[in-house]
Amino acid sequence: MSDQRIAELISKSLRHEISPDESVILENLGEEDVESQKFAELSKLIQQSVQGDVAMNSPERETKKGLTKDAIARLKKSVSNAVREKLSLSDAGLIDSSISATPNTLDLPKTETSVEENTRQLMSRFQLIRRLGQGGLGNVWLARDEKLKRNVAIKELRPEALESPKAWQRFHREAEITGQLEHPNVVPLYQFGTNSKTGEPFYAMRFVGKRSLADAIVEFHDQVEAGQSCHLGLHRLLSVFLDICQAIAYAHSRGVVHRDLKPENVALDNFGQVIVLDWGLAKVMEDSELSMKMSNEFRMGDSTLLTQTMEGDVVGTPLYMAPEQAMGDLDKIDHKTDVYGLGAILFSILTGKAPHELSVSGVKKEIKEILKIIANAEAPSLRDFAKCAPAELEEICSRAMARKRHLRFESVQELADAVETWMAGQSSKKSEYDAMRMEGRELRAEMQSYVGNLERNARFAAGLPPIEQLMQVTTDEDLTVWRERLASIFRGMLQANPDYQNIVYSKVDGDKFSELVRVERHGGDSSSLRVVPKSRLRSDVTSEYMNSLIEQKPEEVLTSLVCDPMCQRDKNCKDTVGLLSGVPVYDSRTEDVFGVVMINCDVDKLLRRQMTRRTTADELVVACDIFHIMMHTKSGQISDETLSKRVADQAPHFLPAVEHLQTESEFIDTTNSDIYGARLWFIPNQHGIMYLLKR
Amino acid sequence: MSELNPEVWVDEYGDYLFRYAYSRLRDSNAAEEVVQETFLAGVRYSEQFAGRGSEQGWLIGILKRKIIDYVRLRNKHNKAAPYEDEHDPSAQLFDEMGNWKPGAINWSPEPGQKIEMAELKDVVQDCLKTLPQGQADVFVLSVMEEMDSDDICRELGISPSNMWVRMHRARLGLAKCVGSKWHVDDEVKQNV
Repeated sequence: MSDQRIAELISKSLRHEISPDESVILENLGEEDVESQKFAELSKLIQQSVQGDVAMNSPERETKKGLTKDAIARLKKSVSNAVREKLSLSDAGLIDSSISATPNTLDLPKTETSVEENTRQLMSRFQLIRRLGQGGLGNVWLARDEKLKRNVAIKELRPEALESPKAWQRFHREAEITGQLEHPNVVPLYQFGTNSKTGEPFYAMRFVGKRSLADAIVEFHDQVEAGQSCHLGLHRLLSVFLDICQAIAYAHSRGVVHRDLKPENVALDNFGQVIVLDWGLAKVMEDSELSMKMSNEFRMGDSTLLTQTMEGDVVGTPLYMAPEQAMGDLDKIDHKTDVYGLGAILFSILTGKAPHELSVSGVKKEIKEILKIIANAEAPSLRDFAKCAPAELEEICSRAMARKRHLRFESVQELADAVETWMAGQSSKKSEYDAMRMEGRELRAEMQSYVGNLERNARFAAGLPPIEQLMQVTTDEDLTVWRERLASIFRGMLQANPDYQNIVYSKVDGDKFSELVRVERHGGDSSSLRVVPKSRLRSDVTSEYMNSLIEQKPEEVLTSLVCDPMCQRDKNCKDTVGLLSGVPVYDSRTEDVFGVVMINCDVDKLLRRQMTRRTTADELVVACDIFHIMMHTKSGQISDETLSKRVADQAPHFLPAVEHLQTESEFIDTTNSDIYGARLWFIPNQHGIMYLLKR
Repeated sequence: MSELNPEVWVDEYGDYLFRYAYSRLRDSNAAEEVVQETFLAGVRYSEQFAGRGSEQGWLIGILKRKIIDYVRLRNKHNKAAPYEDEHDPSAQLFDEMGNWKPGAINWSPEPGQKIEMAELKDVVQDCLKTLPQGQADVFVLSVMEEMDSDDICRELGISPSNMWVRMHRARLGLAKCVGSKWHVDDEVKQNV
């Protein structure tokens, strides 16, 4: 065995941590192992000289290496400050002090060893896992309660606050107030204690998760901006808001004003539980029941406490602060300050921003400057943030946040009732709106199916054998025969479809057309049909619609709203609009367009029939592409005065919907649930018809 | 049962606690700091002192904890240098074969020689200052504070093997240092 290994055994032997075999090796060291023996003896001596510090108290050494005079002065000052701090807490009744008060009989550690034991015990009850966040007063940790095997949140004073007796007071006060408020929406306190290792105070409370209302608001507004439906999201946030109101109303009933309401102070768990946190700034009203139970110190020193929090928590708090708070007008701080704070939370729900964010944005100022701005600025308005919110909620919000306190809601309950009433109305309003939406969709679907039928009939008519025969006739006799045959089929189609005005088969030659067969409904008596005699058939220059039609490929149908199918754009057309569906007819020999078949339908009659159905909409407008009104009903009555007039002039409230429907097929009013619009396209992005409904 | 009077603590126990702390930490600023923390903690949880046992013993109990905390923090901050890089006296004491170099340890007491332990302690204290802090701390906690190996490992966040390497190097370093210093002192004494 090498000397080096033996030296290692010697080291181990000094701690009595070698095996019997190894011990034998050391006992049998020979005379030649001089250095090993010297090392063993010297190391043993060295160990003895300092072990357990035997010479600590020998009188002759006490004069050596003591504290310097400066150090003594420093220590004395520090101890004396600590004593004063302790006494002030003791006087305040916050802690028991054995320094100047009666001897302590607590069953706590008495000797140096028990101090350590206790440290371990206390520390082992709560195992800190990770820091969750930082409040105005302290840090909040996620911790494991080893006794009850559950996660808890531990709040401890921030290290920088430890030196301040005021901070200790506030911390105790926060714990005491929170502990007194027993409500499902107020965080339950489990234990208040001091860390016996450091003497620092902490309290354990229910761990409610890390998600706050602030996070939920950000998520909601991200969704709104991404264009997702937000009705449900808003409803959920408002439910949370009502829970907060309940907690605050309860606190008010116990004489406690929270004074630091903001979305960050509301925790949400994944199961809908809403918990109001951070009662560190709470004020206990003097004549309240709770006030009698609390120590004198807690009812005093409000101004100092308030300033401290504001100074220590510059970023968050002032942005939700009521003007009277910003002014430092402490006499005026009462439950109406919380009404303002709740209004500020509602504001944040509706806009995604803190109310005072705009007024203090861009200014890097001292807290005093910021408070001055908040104290004097106009009441923030939702419109400043360019957000549209339901008008009633906007009103509720402005009332809660009125600068003049007497204009605010009298109580939190009143505010909650207003929001709840709106929500209830909203849900009945919502179901009414949904019904109206269904009606709008049905109207469109009905028209769609009608147009589908029309197009099928046009295609059917164009494919009839007489159509082709009429291209090929050479004799007048044949012409007459085939005309009669076609006319009789057209007549049958008109009989079967009372809205069809006429069906025409025309030959087109260059820019001219000449009718070959025309069957039409009698102008005065719609039940009477006639086949237009040959001498009365029209021939003229092709209309715009016809020109489009002959551009179509075989069997392709073109449907459109047209004034007069035969009419040129530059001629005076009739006001009445027809719904026209036509198909080009190709000559199979030349493979060129020979003519067109067109069915003209009386859209006015069709729409009137649609309008007679019962509808929940108070106002209904049907308009065509150029946004001219084709049909207008108000309270079920058809108004003829606005026919052919522009929607923008006659019913401007539909304008946002009309704009939207230029590119989209549906308009849903997510803000106020008032207006619905649906559009049917005949030719994509060109021609169509829109139904506009208003509750 | 007695009432505590922290105002007199500095005069009564200041030097004593300071020397205790200094002997463990080998740094007067550090010693003053832990003594201050001890007094403050004493004030903060004075209600836990019920008068059984001496006030001094109670304060020493707190001080011991503060020293360990201090060493732990200091050790944490100095973690950059792994222990393998720390000074290893083996190279100076052993040859390549792992055998003692002649005269590696300069001195050992003669049989029957009376050793003044207090003096030896001073020499050891001086020598402790020459050791790398990681080694000296392990030696202090193990020998002077008589802490269990497990506790030392936990407090310093080191492995048992790491602790043993440090401990052994500290012993070698101390033996070499004390041997040479005591020897010199002895010679000086003789010359005088």
